[in-house]
Amino acid sequence: MALKNADRLSSVEAIKENFESHNYICNTQIATAVFLAYHLEKPILIEGPPGVGKTELAKTCAELLDLECVRLQCYEGLDESKAIYEWKYGKQLLYTQVLKETLGEILEGATGLHESVVKLHEFGDVFFSEDFLEPRPLLKALHHDEGCILLIDEVDKSDHEFESLLLEMLSDFQLSIPEIGTVKANPNKKPLVFLTSNNTREISDALKRRCLHLYIPFPDAALERQIVQARVPEIAEHLRNQLVTFIQELRTMDLKKVPAISETIDWARTLILLHTESLDAELVKQTLNVILKFQEDIETAEADVQNLTNKALKQA
Amino acid sequence: MDSTLVDFVKALRTAEIKVSPAETLDAMECLDLVGFTDREFLKNSLALVLSKTPEEKEAFHSCFDRFFSFESFKQIGQDGEYTHDPEGGEFESDGDQADGEGSQPGAGNGQGSGGGAESSGEEDSNEPLDTTLDPESPLGKLLLSGSRTELVVSMAEAGRAVEVNQIVVFTQKGLYTRKIMDAMGLKGLQDEIGTLQANERDGESPMPQNHLARRLTKARDHLREQVRDYVEKQFFLHADESGKQLREELLKKVKLSNLEKRNFKDVQEIVFKMAKKLVAIHSKRRKTYKRGQLDVRKTLRHNMQYDGMLFDLHWKASKVDRPKVMCICDVSGSVSNYSRFLLMFLYSLADVIPKVRSFAFSSDLGEVTALFQNSKVEEAMSRTMRDYGNGSTDYGRMFMDFKNHCMDDVDNKTTIIILGDARNNFGDAKAEILREMYEKSKRVIWLNPEPKTSWTVGDAEMGKYAPACHQAEVCNSLTHLERVVSNLLKTAT
Repeated sequence: MALKNADRLSSVEAIKENFESHNYICNTQIATAVFLAYHLEKPILIEGPPGVGKTELAKTCAELLDLECVRLQCYEGLDESKAIYEWKYGKQLLYTQVLKETLGEILEGATGLHESVVKLHEFGDVFFSEDFLEPRPLLKALHHDEGCILLIDEVDKSDHEFESLLLEMLSDFQLSIPEIGTVKANPNKKPLVFLTSNNTREISDALKRRCLHLYIPFPDAALERQIVQARVPEIAEHLRNQLVTFIQELRTMDLKKVPAISETIDWARTLILLHTESLDAELVKQTLNVILKFQEDIETAEADVQNLTNKALKQA
Repeated sequence: MDSTLVDFVKALRTAEIKVSPAETLDAMECLDLVGFTDREFLKNSLALVLSKTPEEKEAFHSCFDRFFSFESFKQIGQDGEYTHDPEGGEFESDGDQADGEGSQPGAGNGQGSGGGAESSGEEDSNEPLDTTLDPESPLGKLLLSGSRTELVVSMAEAGRAVEVNQIVVFTQKGLYTRKIMDAMGLKGLQDEIGTLQANERDGESPMPQNHLARRLTKARDHLREQVRDYVEKQFFLHADESGKQLREELLKKVKLSNLEKRNFKDVQEIVFKMAKKLVAIHSKRRKTYKRGQLDVRKTLRHNMQYDGMLFDLHWKASKVDRPKVMCICDVSGSVSNYSRFLLMFLYSLADVIPKVRSFAFSSDLGEVTALFQNSKVEEAMSRTMRDYGNGSTDYGRMFMDFKNHCMDDVDNKTTIIILGDARNNFGDAKAEILREMYEKSKRVIWLNPEPKTSWTVGDAEMGKYAPACHQAEVCNSLTHLERVVSNLLKTAT
């Protein structure tokens, strides 16, 4: 397989560096996963808490390889007509109406029922051909001649049946459409597939078996500092350290939803907007709603803000 | 290398990581790509291919470290006990040459042998060496040449030859140690030592020979230790978990009331596992709604047969069937254990049966749904026992309470599970209320921990209650529980 710009994925170190230049800081595991996914031609199933950059990984990969990112957002009730293909029923009906008149011309000269039918057969299955096919994300991804990045987002939100629909695509990079046949990806330009899951339910073994499994946990302090620096470069170093230490401490608390990296970044932006020089308890209390998304979490945290802020100030 | 990988996969499976043959093939492909040069890289790569949940990943990393750990092989002669005390008791460790002790030349007058560059440093003799004797037997050569890697390789090969990965119980450790030693050529070494010592006894052997004999004996004993360690490790890799599985199987069948407190944790784990299995099987049940968005494609297809008249409509949305369960548990002393596990089971199934309402009673009925939803099973259970566990059982009273408070919530989709021994202390049975429940609900299931023969003996009222139940069953082990819950999910519509 040889996608465009594939040399950017030539080794784990290269991947790390290239991702970094696209402002995505990744650890060795993530880089290894991308490396293997490309070279073994396997999809990656990415799991982890919300906001650690699962979707971002796929998007960055698309940017890096300069390929289009075809995205399929999963939700309950998603089915093949939304994910794979749909017939253009309106067009079909319209065409039958229009063609009714020309039918006479086509059948001209034919005598008897048998001959007419033979004549009709010559035209083949006009109405169930590619012209009347509305491709949806999965089919689109296969049609890309240049190859593409296929992102199947939040696959855990879809139904069990849908997972089974994906299997053919994931293992063989092909899809079967009963009326037309099997559509295959260009063997040299197979799409690079990313699936993400928030683990709201267990993904079936059949799907897992076909994928590499990458788990992205919350980053450690050093990595998180790097990420904040890459994403919000205008933030001052000491504030960045304080902020990351604070968030890391917050994650150890018993909260309904702990703040993720995306919240850290949002908070960093907020603090810059407020022209903050250094963390203080009052300010933290006022901006707590940026990082915590449940009222009860905010209440739990508020009691400890002073303590945590002091800790963050001391360590940074 | 392929067979090593297969062994590794086997070890992973015993560590409860599910690896399919297809994944093994993937791993081989991955090996070709990654190679063996970078351990960390290899580990990360295999982790991506073989382990598919966060828990499995953790297990994978420790398993990988244990499986591919050869560094721990201690260098012969380097560890302390040897160098200090060459005259020590280690010499007599084996019966067949215990007589060697008779003529101990002692370390001081032994001619230091500088055979292997690595072993010379550790030997206690500082004297100059004039003769160097090399051992004859292959194993002896290997031992004294001091090449750790070769020794490890030879040990691993011997291990494979005797199929040490088939080890099942810990009593086999000795057997496998012996087998591996034999496969490594212990006999040759033994013979050589024997000959050397015989010469020594006869008084005709020169010093270097004596010394060699001693060094070989030491090395052999040391090797035995290493092999034992190796077998131990293999045991942990391959057999430890199958022992656990055996225990789990037993626990599933044991009567719940006989369970000891120390087993609760294991049982809880089993319950979660069983529940997970049931969730996986049953979460797919769904039927289509009769309203919502029209499924154009399906409708057109189905109506081809009616000449294209849109007549038989199909809808897109589907809904999951979820049983509505009400669970009434007797928590008086004799039955409380059963209630504990039934409730544990039901609340582990929150994914497939989100609507469980549970009630506890010994005489007064109380709803404990919120308690179980908000706190851990252990805690909820002990609080339930505290609040409702006292007093003599009174089923009549319980039914009265149920009728007064909850009868309105029972509809034709509700399944009612009653868990109790039906021992009513000769009070009013109030079976007519159960009859009413029977008529209103979808199903009434009575689970009785006592064997059927004692259902009508003494103050037991099963004779009156059973006819008013759709199903009355003996239930006294985890297997029974699983069956009941599985049936519950299967017939839920």
